[in-house]
Amino acid sequence: MSSAIANSIQLLMEVSSIISKVIEFNEKVFGIEQRNGIVRIKIHRDVLPYVAQKLATTKGIYMRTMMASDERDLEGVYRLYYLFGIDREHINIVLEVAVPQEDPKVPTIVDIIKAADWYELEAHDMLGIEFIDRRLYRLVLPEDWPEKVYPLRKEYSVQDLMKLYRPKAVEYAKEIGAENIVVIPIGPYHPALHEPEFFEVYVSGERVIDAKYVGFMVHRGIEKLGENMKYDQVPFLAERICGICGFVHSTSYCQAVESALNTDVPERAQFIRSIILEIERIHSHLLWFGVALHLLGYDTGFMHSWRIREQVMVLAELLTGSRKTYGINVVGGVRRDIDNDKIRKAIEVLKNVEDEFKKLVEISINIPQVIARLKGTGVLPLGEAIALSLVGPTARGSGLDRDVRRDYPYAAYRYISFRVPTYSEGDNLARTLVRVDEVFESINMLYQLLDKVPSGEIRVESWTVEPYRLGVGSVEAPRGEVIHVLLTGRYSPYRWRVRAPTYQNLPAVSIMLKGVDLADVPLTIASIDPCFSCTDRAIVIDIGRSVIKTIPIEFLSLKGSKAIR
Amino acid sequence: MVQLLGGELNSKGIDLRKALSRIKRSIWVYHINTGSCNGCDIEILDVLTPYFDVERFGIKLVASPRHADLALLTGPITIKTFSKVYRALNAMPRPRFVLAIGSCAVGGNIWFESYSTLGGFPKALEMFSEMGLEIDGVVYVPGCPARPEAIIYGAATLLGLQKPKTRYRRFKA
Repeated sequence: MSSAIANSIQLLMEVSSIISKVIEFNEKVFGIEQRNGIVRIKIHRDVLPYVAQKLATTKGIYMRTMMASDERDLEGVYRLYYLFGIDREHINIVLEVAVPQEDPKVPTIVDIIKAADWYELEAHDMLGIEFIDRRLYRLVLPEDWPEKVYPLRKEYSVQDLMKLYRPKAVEYAKEIGAENIVVIPIGPYHPALHEPEFFEVYVSGERVIDAKYVGFMVHRGIEKLGENMKYDQVPFLAERICGICGFVHSTSYCQAVESALNTDVPERAQFIRSIILEIERIHSHLLWFGVALHLLGYDTGFMHSWRIREQVMVLAELLTGSRKTYGINVVGGVRRDIDNDKIRKAIEVLKNVEDEFKKLVEISINIPQVIARLKGTGVLPLGEAIALSLVGPTARGSGLDRDVRRDYPYAAYRYISFRVPTYSEGDNLARTLVRVDEVFESINMLYQLLDKVPSGEIRVESWTVEPYRLGVGSVEAPRGEVIHVLLTGRYSPYRWRVRAPTYQNLPAVSIMLKGVDLADVPLTIASIDPCFSCTDRAIVIDIGRSVIKTIPIEFLSLKGSKAIR
Repeated sequence: MVQLLGGELNSKGIDLRKALSRIKRSIWVYHINTGSCNGCDIEILDVLTPYFDVERFGIKLVASPRHADLALLTGPITIKTFSKVYRALNAMPRPRFVLAIGSCAVGGNIWFESYSTLGGFPKALEMFSEMGLEIDGVVYVPGCPARPEAIIYGAATLLGLQKPKTRYRRFKA
């Protein structure tokens, strides 16, 4: 008990300096409360830009996510939750802004925090909130979506929405008027990145002038579906957000519910979660490493990387019963236990993977063509990485040392020691090396975790729901931090907000692409390890402008390799 | 299971049996992700890489639908990708076949009643036939994600090397 008090005093002291900055706007700040490492500050909408400015200019604070929620049947308002994180202090600051329903207008903070751009557009599309002094365009929904229909408002059920809108196949054939600059559309289907996405790359000769992402095609309405499901059903939905890092999402959701309801998860369950998370990271990084080599035209490396990866998939099947989409997370623990026999087998497999991957890395990274293509291309400076609130290996490749496993410890990561690989060059090589190092670090962590698994229960017997509590769950996914914000309802989540790492990292691609050769475009796009199914879960962008020609992205890239030879 | 659509001689007078015997040699596949979670897509890649290695059967991934005999379709078909799927399939030469991979493509899976998906390939197929796009054959491979073995089995079923394991029956939700 005493340690808990000491802890909270320490937390308050760290936060007090920030709160003192907020307190300047005394009459516009309605209340500050602190619980479970979340500081909730209720403010009037007029002072939002000033408070955001104070937070954004403080070193080490970055915007993690923003949730817009329809709370008209509770308090007659829409509410925006801006979530800021303090690096290494394990504290989240939530700015709560109430927006009256008769006049849903809020000042924009895009000019202060670049990362807020998509969050605001998404809130505009899904809930009809107006942001003043910025250009609002349709980001989330298709062009021909009916006006004034906002899917996340509570008055629309999924069935209503299905009646209101069904797609028509449209032939797009608009030409883009360009004289000296040629537009090269990449996507939405090409064999290299395996997902529907669409980049408009503006080039002059062979040099890239600008690039624009116009994807968002994997919108599946997950957040709306989640509002109609029971608490224990949602982890299965969350796991299907992404087929590569699905376990990350279900863990993050479970943590959000657990933090909202103050549920203690048994230690054994936390270890099992950590073990599966690290296995997922290894298979994801091996996958990425293979795809990156494939994009360089080095298919041998691609094949070897995937050969090694297959052992990890078999290991995942051994531990969870499924190659992917494990489905073992529930609120308050996990569904499936592991025994000593499985631990022994897992260690054998990991040793093998470690040896084989070491050999592969030694060979492939030392090939002159590979180095020449990776080094100095797609540079992202540290300043930009901080300004855009980047996360994961993309940020760590630019020298921004940010890792949720260490900064906001969850699951069993507080019981083991590990290193967070960081490189300061900011080019494609740095991002590759971060991932390569992370594979070895993950294997090392797995040895420790498998060795230390404590005995005991794997899930809590029962838990009770208290409505309208705020919970935050964040997990370091292979691509960066995943963060789920959740407002509990009586039987199912009242509002559930998912933010995937690619959502935060994608705006960085256009900065990386400026000035690179056309041949380096595919690899640079791939270097943030984009996962569009995570990002687009609630979003769709305008594609009306596109003249769609499917250009095989790897052909572009192969041209570059030939030039080196 | 193979579902041959349009009978032996379809509206444009193509003899399907003859056409099928032609693609038996080596099939080229084109991969379309229609809003899938990536789970099935990485399993498709897994099938192409050394552990399962379907290239030994002559199955090859190609970059353009114009070169393909078979489309590997994953995902529940989101409203945003629908028109792209239509154009990709329309660009394929006849006879055009589809391998609908994963529970999403088979019947929408967990998204089957979401406002932003069609809910699986069968529903898209209905819309395609309204729009005059003919698909000559569909093989459904269930699984979430579909296992690599199942994907190979599906391709073998299409080629007539294996018998389908189940009968075809549509359930209406």
